[in-house]
Amino acid sequence: MRSQIKVLHAGRTIALRSKVSTVSAHQIPLSFRLQQRRNITTDEKPLPESEQPKGPNQDQLPHVSEEAATAGKITGEGGPELDQSSPVQEVLKRSEKSQEKAPKIMQDEFKASSPKGSRSYSTSTPLRAQAMINSESAEVQNQGHIFGLPELPLPSTSHLKHRYDPVVHQVTNLLMQDGKLSKAQRNMAMILERLRTAAPPSSDPRHPLIPGAPPTNHLPLNPILYLTLAIDSVAPLLRIRSQKGAAGGGVALQIPIPLGLRQRRRTAVMWILDAVAKKRTKGSGRTMFAHKVADELIAIVEGRSAVWDRRGGVHRLGVAARANLAFGNRRR
Amino acid sequence: MSLQTCWRCLARGSNQPHPTRWPPQQPWNLYPSLTAAFTTSSSLSALPPKKKSKSPMLETNVKGAKKTFVKKTKKRQKTDSSKRPEVGERRALRKRIVLSNTNALEVEGLKDINAQLMIDESLRGQVLGIPGPVVDQLRAVEAFKVKQGWPLFRRPAMLMRKDTLDMATEIENISLGIRDKTIRRVFVGERGSGKTTMLLQAMTMAFLKGWVVINVPEAQDLILGHTEYGPLPSTNPTLYTQRTYTASLLNAISRANPILQDLQLSQPPPRTELPIPVPPNISLSQLAHLGAQDPEIAWPIFELLYRELTLPDRPPLLLCMDGLAHAMRNTHYISNTYQPIHAHQFTLINWFLSHLSGESPLPNAGLVLAATSESNSPPVPSLTLALAQLEGNAAVQKNPFATYDARVLGVFEQGGVQVRRVGGLCKQEARGLMEYWARSGVVRQRVDEGFVGEKWSLSGGGCVGELERAVVRMRV
Repeated sequence: MRSQIKVLHAGRTIALRSKVSTVSAHQIPLSFRLQQRRNITTDEKPLPESEQPKGPNQDQLPHVSEEAATAGKITGEGGPELDQSSPVQEVLKRSEKSQEKAPKIMQDEFKASSPKGSRSYSTSTPLRAQAMINSESAEVQNQGHIFGLPELPLPSTSHLKHRYDPVVHQVTNLLMQDGKLSKAQRNMAMILERLRTAAPPSSDPRHPLIPGAPPTNHLPLNPILYLTLAIDSVAPLLRIRSQKGAAGGGVALQIPIPLGLRQRRRTAVMWILDAVAKKRTKGSGRTMFAHKVADELIAIVEGRSAVWDRRGGVHRLGVAARANLAFGNRRR
Repeated sequence: MSLQTCWRCLARGSNQPHPTRWPPQQPWNLYPSLTAAFTTSSSLSALPPKKKSKSPMLETNVKGAKKTFVKKTKKRQKTDSSKRPEVGERRALRKRIVLSNTNALEVEGLKDINAQLMIDESLRGQVLGIPGPVVDQLRAVEAFKVKQGWPLFRRPAMLMRKDTLDMATEIENISLGIRDKTIRRVFVGERGSGKTTMLLQAMTMAFLKGWVVINVPEAQDLILGHTEYGPLPSTNPTLYTQRTYTASLLNAISRANPILQDLQLSQPPPRTELPIPVPPNISLSQLAHLGAQDPEIAWPIFELLYRELTLPDRPPLLLCMDGLAHAMRNTHYISNTYQPIHAHQFTLINWFLSHLSGESPLPNAGLVLAATSESNSPPVPSLTLALAQLEGNAAVQKNPFATYDARVLGVFEQGGVQVRRVGGLCKQEARGLMEYWARSGVVRQRVDEGFVGEKWSLSGGGCVGELERAVVRMRV
């Protein structure tokens, strides 16, 4: 197994930390960090079984006599003997006299009950990188770098095109009108700022947030989490597809189709934007749209929003039409 | 004449209601079954929800009764039926200044700025809180602006940067009487570099030192044509007063400067100057309040108040104006000959610019500060030229094709106006600011050398506004 050096990192004294990062960054040489090893052994981790249906020659019924033996075992009547013959080892076990006259190799087998496993040479090859690792070399590697080497794997946000949180990125694009991304980004920033400064929401037990959500009074200090929670909580699990003529006689059949994560979020955001479009503007100026969206997000967390009803309606319809699920699977 | 067709058996021409030759058909054979005979769909499928029955008129499909053209009623879009905002409520919401965010963490060990602490050079790069009474005073003179980042933090605080400490030293020297000259200064710099905040910091320190502060928060308010105006009699060229604005300015002065309560009117003004009798020995605060209540006498009271403040043994003065370029061009007001009135013909602007130009020095010393704006600034080539020349920028020369305003150039002709460019923060100051943000809970990243360096570069060399945008307001 790969040895891991874990250095507990003392975090900033902030009440909220989404994750405690264990920094094992510069202790291990880069060449070793890059090497990925993954051992699958039958004991620890059985090979994954495929979920595909089995082929025509796989998983066939056992032989007739085997089946009869199993049935006899269950009923206690004793079915047919499956073994073709009795093995020599069993015969030898029963009588000590015959053991003496057995071949030497079989006598040795009886004496050595467990394998010794003591070879004069090693069969395992040590990793070259592991052999090279020691504390001095780790220190030497940091020389010549002003800020040290980056932690690997690189965080996903370090990529230019993925620098923002995935939810923020998606919602920003959904806010965009007429291709004006900059305006959408400004609106997004104002939404987050509104979430940051608005009073902490009160939770509604009738509309619980997704499991694992922190207490609601912790949310304003982490507006992105706030946004993510609100959207993921009202996101529907499925959509209803009307398959024309599937019910027979030209009647459309309602088929529930499961949605992926991005699709679920997209649906939720579109519902939120629909609800926002119906809201009356309270103030004036460029912050108004952002404030309306933020207020709707707060209303969702507080359980006041009509988006919850919309989600419930879709889910109810999906449950009613659950018998039609097979259609969805076939057509997909 | 058409023959009647029996709808049940399709027999024709019979007068009998039903043919008797065949037994009547079973009704269920006449209707199409729900599932076609050859369909492959499973009978276990759930049926679609029943459609809501339409209005009975549309349902009837009787010949003749069917309407070929039915005017569809437009679907009414559901809108919020809540109460509409009152008149002025939207504007109030837009202009509202929020100085506190109860969600933000309270910064432990945040020191407040005071009159002794402000000249401490070791505080450079640290953030100091603004004490509560001073916040009220700053609010009264409208030193806080809407788009600044005050609503993100628990309470207002300010960064002690190099320019702040320089100004603190000057304020201290003037207060001690070491320096008895008026300092006249214009802040220039790129957008978001902290020009307006420099004015706010100057006002904070002046309040702490017991100065009298007169602030024009936006020069644009004076030229937009939003407040009433009228000519001042016996002036050539005609000067115009803005009595409502002056009254509100007097109100701000009396509320923001509690020191005026301790200062008394030295002598009652002559009746020719003020139309109302002024009781002797009233405090200057009451005097300002008189003018604030009655716009008719606001300008004479303002003049009287200013004259009183420039008497010997009065505290030093701090005069501020933001958005200087607006005060350097034609206004939206028109004269009686339908000509646009120049901003310099308005008494308040004229009064301020006479101090900025050095034409009327402050007898008790003080500071005259003005700030330009990069985000809300009309093009005034004369001002650009004058400021560039004063800054020592030889590259900016007079454009032979542009028209220059002699009045604007005249303000800076006398010299002595310092043009101070507000640049970026150094990395140490940037780090202090970012640590304050982190301790407020606004920044969630670890503030280390790499992070500070990255953001400092991203903000164009420590431009404060850009730094805030990159660290606090970015969608990360």
